[in-house]
Amino acid sequence: MSARRRSGQDRPGFLHRSGFETALLAAPVLFLVAVSALPVLYTIAMSVQSVDMFDILSLHRPFVGLRNYIHLFHNPAAGRIALNTLLFTTCSVVAQVTIGFALAVFFQRRFPGAATIRGVFLAAWIMPGLVVGAIWKWMFAGDSGVVNAILAASGLIHAHPFWLSDPHLALPAVIIANIWLGVPFNMILLSVGLAAIPRDLYEAAAMDGAGSIRSFVSITLPMMRATIAAVVSLGIIFTLQQYDLISGLTEGGPANASNVAQYWSWQLSFQTYQIGQGSALAVLMLAVTALVASIYVSSTRREVVA
Amino acid sequence: MDTGLALLLAAAYLFPLYWMYVTALKEPREIFLNPPSFWPHRLHAEFVQVFVEHGMAHYLWNSCLIAAGATLLTVLLGTGGAFVLSRRNDRMALGALFLVLLLQALPPSLLVTPIFVAFNQLGLLATPRLAVVLAQTGRMLPLFIVLTRPSFAQVPRELEDAARMDGASRSKVFLLIAVPLARNGILVSTILVFLQSLGEYVYSRSLISSDQLQTATVGLRGFLGTNTTDWSGIMTYAAIYVTPILVLFALLQTRIVGGLTAGALK
Repeated sequence: MSARRRSGQDRPGFLHRSGFETALLAAPVLFLVAVSALPVLYTIAMSVQSVDMFDILSLHRPFVGLRNYIHLFHNPAAGRIALNTLLFTTCSVVAQVTIGFALAVFFQRRFPGAATIRGVFLAAWIMPGLVVGAIWKWMFAGDSGVVNAILAASGLIHAHPFWLSDPHLALPAVIIANIWLGVPFNMILLSVGLAAIPRDLYEAAAMDGAGSIRSFVSITLPMMRATIAAVVSLGIIFTLQQYDLISGLTEGGPANASNVAQYWSWQLSFQTYQIGQGSALAVLMLAVTALVASIYVSSTRREVVA
Repeated sequence: MDTGLALLLAAAYLFPLYWMYVTALKEPREIFLNPPSFWPHRLHAEFVQVFVEHGMAHYLWNSCLIAAGATLLTVLLGTGGAFVLSRRNDRMALGALFLVLLLQALPPSLLVTPIFVAFNQLGLLATPRLAVVLAQTGRMLPLFIVLTRPSFAQVPRELEDAARMDGASRSKVFLLIAVPLARNGILVSTILVFLQSLGEYVYSRSLISSDQLQTATVGLRGFLGTNTTDWSGIMTYAAIYVTPILVLFALLQTRIVGGLTAGALK
């Protein structure tokens, strides 16, 4: 440590530095490096190796260059799953943010019980994803599912579609369930942003004769830009983590119609034992997640420092 | 008027939960009525039968064991980290925070492949529940740190400085002043980590091969796979499994929502 820094008054944190505090911080960081960061490096290594059940215990595996990636791209399912992942993520995030925003604005009106009723929505968020998948699987059942019954009673459909076994409907069904799961978290985060907007801005706008739509467009939306950016990037991150729900609903089927990259990577490794290809896909998806995450972290950096 | 609309929205939103309970309480025959009945004609509960037939005792025990282990390890490792990150903003602390937030984003279904291979090589798969505890702790630590940090930030620094002046060591200041004053926040984050870990699925499914050591999620997946017409049984299983989680959540709802909103965006 240089003398200039030692005397620097602009680094108050330095005065609190001690071996004890460094150890307190090092414990979780080293643990995370061991169980999260090192596995990332290991995936990268395995993605350029030939890994099968015979040499899984060996550290010396044949280097195969980019062959796993090439096999992955030539897999007939790759195009469909790439498109599915894009659709799953985009539709889920757009709908979750839109519905979450509408609910957050509604609950911002301070009526009796608003906070409590708003909290009730989070019951869905605390449920294990697999259980949510099981419930929606039952609701989407073709013959006696309640979704079809409600749609038929309201005259929207006449046939009874088999949502989860129809290649055209399986992905939309998974997306609908995922939107349901993600709405409460989006609503809560957006509520925090809404609560931070000064009330007098709206009062001033009302005095100038602005209607509610006008003040939403010219006050709420601009003031919420940072929050919306954070919520969208968190939404992408959570959607790319979704595994439990897909496992409960369709397991990616029928014939990959509702499969997405993070589920396919798991299937490649744990069901068909193509660990090299599973790792190659994982590397690509980890790169996407890390990119979104660093955008998120740097966008909230100012708050992080504060 | 707004309250009525809000209740209506919440009821519509929570319909899937209602449907789980109603299905669990219907006779198996009534489930396949078309159109379905929205209230059971005759109450018919098979909770004990499903619990025994599907070995829920050992599944739930394993889930609790894994959740307790992961929560304990998370709290032990994470509390100090959250404290230090609320006190320091030098380059090292910012780097640690960046790492924590970045690692939080990585999908577990992708990380589980290298974890499986590495744990296999290290011999950790011989104790598969411990393996899941370690992996799940890695997933929960960032969440715990992010949620707990604001509670430490609210502890007045003057108290710590005064104790330091009186000759208290840094470890005493942390354990006897900061932790007791931030205990509510620590408790809420702890419960949240425990509830989340009770639903752990991908690591258990991938790292545990013996059914005797499996969790309630994997047990439910097996039930879903073998017999997809016994929806009364499946929903009964689901209801037994999630009711304690929902009750605990309901009891602490206000605090959990408060903790989430304080930690999530900061």
